[in-house]
Amino acid sequence: MAELSIKNVTKRFGETEVLKGVSLDIADGEFVSLVGPSGCGKSTLLRIIAGLEEQNSGDIRIGGTSVAGQRAADRNLSMVFQSYALYPHLSVGENIAVPLRMRRMSGLQRLPLLGGLMPGARAMARAIGHDVHRAAEMLEIRHLLDRKPGQLSGGQRQRVALGRALVREPAAFLLDEPLSNLDAKLRVQTRAEIAQLHRRLETTFVYVTHDQVEAMTMSDRIAVMMGGRILQCAAPDVIYEDPDRIEVAEFIGSPKINILPLEVGDDGRLSLLDHALNLAVIDGTRGVASLGLRPETLRLTRGKSPLRGRVVHSENLGAEIFVQIEVAGLAERVTLRAGPEKRNTLALGTSVALDFDIDKALVFDADGARLRKLRHVTRATAEVA
Amino acid sequence: MSAIEPTMIDQTTGPTAGHATKERRAAWVLTAPALILMVVILLGPVIIAGVLSFTNYSLGNSSFDWVGTQNYEKLFTRSTYEKMFVATLTYVVTVVPISVGLGLGAALLINSLGRFREIYKTIYFLPVMATLLAMAIAWEFMLHPSIGMVNRTLEMGCGTFLEQIWSFMSQGCADRFPVWLGDKRYAIWVICFIGIWQGFGFNMVLYLAGLTSVHRELYHAAEMDGARSAWERFRLVTWPALGPTTVFVVTITCIRAFQVFDTIEAFWPQGGGPNKSTYVMMFAIFEKGVQQNLIGIGSAITMLFLLFVMFLTLIQRWLVERKVHYK
Repeated sequence: MAELSIKNVTKRFGETEVLKGVSLDIADGEFVSLVGPSGCGKSTLLRIIAGLEEQNSGDIRIGGTSVAGQRAADRNLSMVFQSYALYPHLSVGENIAVPLRMRRMSGLQRLPLLGGLMPGARAMARAIGHDVHRAAEMLEIRHLLDRKPGQLSGGQRQRVALGRALVREPAAFLLDEPLSNLDAKLRVQTRAEIAQLHRRLETTFVYVTHDQVEAMTMSDRIAVMMGGRILQCAAPDVIYEDPDRIEVAEFIGSPKINILPLEVGDDGRLSLLDHALNLAVIDGTRGVASLGLRPETLRLTRGKSPLRGRVVHSENLGAEIFVQIEVAGLAERVTLRAGPEKRNTLALGTSVALDFDIDKALVFDADGARLRKLRHVTRATAEVA
Repeated sequence: MSAIEPTMIDQTTGPTAGHATKERRAAWVLTAPALILMVVILLGPVIIAGVLSFTNYSLGNSSFDWVGTQNYEKLFTRSTYEKMFVATLTYVVTVVPISVGLGLGAALLINSLGRFREIYKTIYFLPVMATLLAMAIAWEFMLHPSIGMVNRTLEMGCGTFLEQIWSFMSQGCADRFPVWLGDKRYAIWVICFIGIWQGFGFNMVLYLAGLTSVHRELYHAAEMDGARSAWERFRLVTWPALGPTTVFVVTITCIRAFQVFDTIEAFWPQGGGPNKSTYVMMFAIFEKGVQQNLIGIGSAITMLFLLFVMFLTLIQRWLVERKVHYK
């Protein structure tokens, strides 16, 4: 168990800069997800932490000591790979035992036939067997110990990979998209199990995924990466409700957040589709901006609204429906979340008007940075103005 | 032949008996050409050779006598055939491990290269592509006792420190260097050397193909698990992953080693080397069956040869199914 500290890490592959100065502090026992679209550098960062890749500059500290120049085998980290990377010729039990054999036994003790005759080898093999059983019991794979990985299902292989990672009590676990090869149902189940495992082991977990749902459901904190940078690192609810940048708001949340174009008037007042909102910016931002509205902040209204359109598509998920509405004057469709009782009123082609809670709206400037300094404009002042 | 019986039976309606018979007949008719060809071209000759091995038949004779197991008894009693077995086994036991090992080593080295891979691959593969008969003539010149390149090169070492540390050198310089192809002590080893030189490039290509299937993440997993040295990673990942390739390579190399013939025929067209020291099975079959027209004994050697190859194939099948088939 140890805390991890990443300072200004950069990485280039030839001309391409994959990581552009990444810094991140992970507390002891914390579960941090690195999430981002493919090619954002999240896997590279994980491999740099592991020691499988070397950074061009910057420093990694594990438990307070720099691991610069230390190879992966000496860093006391465990990794679960996307492909599980189980040794196909070894049984499940032997697979789980590999990290223990490699670390505890000498080269002579590991020899195929003679190894057992070396002094101390028997006792050590017994101790390793005991640890393997303990790990297998924790993951409920004890009955699989004699099988070969080729005879296992995807979910079982995944457990074996986890078992191999946790058998030697490493300083931290690194998981590289461990669930992406599982089917949807198993993924949900394993997600919960990994989160439980983390609570039980109280060890640092660094979890790389492109699936924002996995990140949201399992992590203490999420680091959203894009273009080789960490855009924001915070608790899942903060990332969702209070994103720093438009890219973060767009990446996290399903269906995607609605981004609508805003005009900032000379007095700082915001207007949407030539319709003045009761909101104004305090700083000097003028010109164009963006308004982010989560599908659940939109609601149907009969009153006056700038957002009027026609239902063009709807997805019924049973407990809720997502309705796509083509709004006049907007290039992109607006998504609305509604309860199933609204199904009849939201048939295809229906004209609807949408209203939203101005307090839950997220405003971003032209560069995509969040504008937090806003002031409410009361209707009275607005009319006077 | 049950595999060719029709298995696509309409389960919803249930076939009538006549329909099923008709379909079965059609299946036999459709497979008949392949079956006939297989029997005529592959199985027939083997069976005929098996039958002839119990006779004293000669090509051109209108009849033959049954001689029982006499041909086989000769094989296991006469010293010529003892020499045949010794030469063949020496060749196989030397060439197979060395050319497989060299093939693997070359493949690993080439695989670790970033550049010039293709060049190295082509260079090592050149002897495989060349005609062994033509190559044998080139080797014959190189190994010529007085004007050959090999002995000339060795002579350059005379008078240097090599003479002190290597008794072979000092003897060669004092007396003369070996008559490589005329000396029964060296002849079989020269043949082995040429066999390895010619064959390991093929094994290298097979191993290179095998190496592409080794999952890269396995090396990373091995590193994370604490495999620090290249040897440990080889033991843990590469060697097991190459298991199926190795079984195939060893079998193919064994069969090719049993079949060695053209170098011997090129070097010693009359009689299998000095004192029959390179009298390998293939050459014996050729000499008895073709040159001396003793079809009976030639067939007996052929059957023995087939038995060896069959045995190797069975071992390979057993290994592939039991030991190295992980998935």
